[in-house]
Amino acid sequence: MQEFLQLVVSGIATGAIFASLALALVLIYNAMGLVNFAQGEMAMFAAFIAYTLINHGMSFWIAFPVTMVLAFGGGILIQRIVIKPVERAPVLTLVIITLGLATLVNGFAGFIWGYVPRYFGSPFSSDSIDLGGVFLNERDLGVIGVSGLVLLAVYLLLQHTTVGLTLRAAAHHPEASRLLGVHVSWMLALGWGLASAVGAVSGMMVAPILLLEPNMMQTIIIYAFAAAVLGGIESPLGAVVGGLVVGVVINLAGAYIPNAGDLQLAFGLGIIILVLILKPNGLFGRAATRRV
Amino acid sequence: MTALLELENVRAGYGPTSVLHGVSLEVPDGSVVSLLGANGAGKTTTLRAITGGVRWTGDIRFAGRSLRRSPTEDIVRRGIAHVPEGRGICTELTVDENLRLGAHLRQDKAEVKKDYARVFEYFPVLKERRRLSASTLSGGEQQMLALARALLMRPRLMLLDEPSLGLAPMVVRSIFEIIRSINRTSKVAVLLVEQNARIALDLSTTTYVLEVGRVAVHGASAELQGDESVRRSYLGY
Repeated sequence: MQEFLQLVVSGIATGAIFASLALALVLIYNAMGLVNFAQGEMAMFAAFIAYTLINHGMSFWIAFPVTMVLAFGGGILIQRIVIKPVERAPVLTLVIITLGLATLVNGFAGFIWGYVPRYFGSPFSSDSIDLGGVFLNERDLGVIGVSGLVLLAVYLLLQHTTVGLTLRAAAHHPEASRLLGVHVSWMLALGWGLASAVGAVSGMMVAPILLLEPNMMQTIIIYAFAAAVLGGIESPLGAVVGGLVVGVVINLAGAYIPNAGDLQLAFGLGIIILVLILKPNGLFGRAATRRV
Repeated sequence: MTALLELENVRAGYGPTSVLHGVSLEVPDGSVVSLLGANGAGKTTTLRAITGGVRWTGDIRFAGRSLRRSPTEDIVRRGIAHVPEGRGICTELTVDENLRLGAHLRQDKAEVKKDYARVFEYFPVLKERRRLSASTLSGGEQQMLALARALLMRPRLMLLDEPSLGLAPMVVRSIFEIIRSINRTSKVAVLLVEQNARIALDLSTTTYVLEVGRVAVHGASAELQGDESVRRSYLGY
C-alpha cells in the first residue's frame, strides 16, 4: 500500500509535467483549431535558455520566471512571423508548418548547444518526507507544487480576467468577437505566448529528471498528446486531468507489469488510440453538435 | 438632422459574385431606418459592408469619417454595435460572460453598472440565467442576449439583422417594443434589416427597399406603408 501511494505521488509529479505541456497544446488548439507539433521542441528550447541563464550565475528561481517571460515573447513572435501569414491556409499546410517548426527549433538547439546530454540541476532537494510510513520525494512534491501554481495561474487568467474572457471568445467565436471590438488576431498571438510560457514550465521541470538535450521532449510530447486527447482536446481542465491520469497510469504500469518499462511509450500511444475510438471527445470535451 | 451613417454608391460582393450594385442610404442621428427586401437582395451584405465584413468600393462614412480600410474591430469601437445574422452569441460562454464582452472596452464603470441594471430591466430573464451557458437559451432569449450585449457597448448606432427571425409573434412584439424604447431613451440610431416588413415599417421613420443589390424605393415609412403599389410589388403584403 505504501509503495502504491508513493508510486501514485510520483505519477502525479510526472503527470503534472504532462499536464503543463498538454495545456499548452490545448491553448493553441483552441486558437487555431490544430495541435502545435512544435510545442515540445519549444519547451525544450526554453529549458536550454533556463540552463544558459543558470550557467551564467542566475539562480533557478530567477531563471524560471525570466524564461517564462522569454518563452511568452517567443511564442508571440512565432505566431506573428510563422503562423499568421498562413492563418487561412488548409489544415494540412498548418500541420506541415508546425512539423517544420519542430524540426527547425530542434536543429537550432542542436546547432547552439550540441546533442551531448547535459546535467540540469534540480531546484529541489532529493530528501524524502516521511508521511506516516509513506515516503514522499521532495522533488516530486516540488514539481507538483510548481506546476500546480502555474496551472492555477492560467486558470485564473482565463476564467477571471477580461483578457482571459476575450481570449476565450476570440478562440471559439472569432467573427462574433470581432463585432464586439476584440482584436482577434492579437488574441491568437497572446494564446501562442501563453502556451509557449506554460510549455516552458514543463521543459524546465523535465530537464532535471531526464538529461537536457535537443530530443529531450520527444517522448514527453507523446504523453502530452495522450493527456490532451484523453481530457478532450479543447478543454484546459481536461488537459490537466488527462495529464495526471496518464502520469499515474504509466507510473503504476511501469512498476507492476513486468518488463513494462520498454512499453511505456506504447501505453501513451495506446491511450490516444483507445480514446479516439471509444470516446473521441475525451473526458471533458463537448460533443461537436451541429444545428440542421 | 445630420446623417450619422452615410453609404454612397457602395458596391460589394463575395469573390467574383457581386451583391451590392451601388447602394446609397443615410441613417440620421437618433433615428430608426429599416432596410427591407427579398431574400438575396443584399440586406445582410449591406450591414456586413458597414462593419468591414466584406470588401466594398464607394464610400461609407460614420459620424463624418470614412470607414474605408478600417478593420472590423476598429469600426465597432467607434460606436457601431452589429447584431449579426444568427445573433453572434458566444455559446461556449455563459450569459454573463457574453454581457461582459459587450462592455469589455468601456472604462466608465459606474455607467456600465447603470446599463447593466437597465438591461436587466428590459430582459429580466437574462438576470435569472446569468450563470448559465448561453447555449441553453431559447432563440428568443438569445436574441435578447444579443440586444442586451449590443446595448452594453453603448453604441451610437445599432445594426440589427433580422431580430424577428425564427421567433414567436409574441416574442417579436416585445422585442420590437424594447428596440423602440432603446432608441427613444438612449438616443441610439438603429439600422434595421427585416423580412417582416409590416413591423419594420411600424417602427422606423425612414425605409429603404433593396432589390437585387440596388435601392428600389425609399421614403418615409408611413408613406410607403400607405402606398399600395409599393406594398404589393416590394413588400408582399
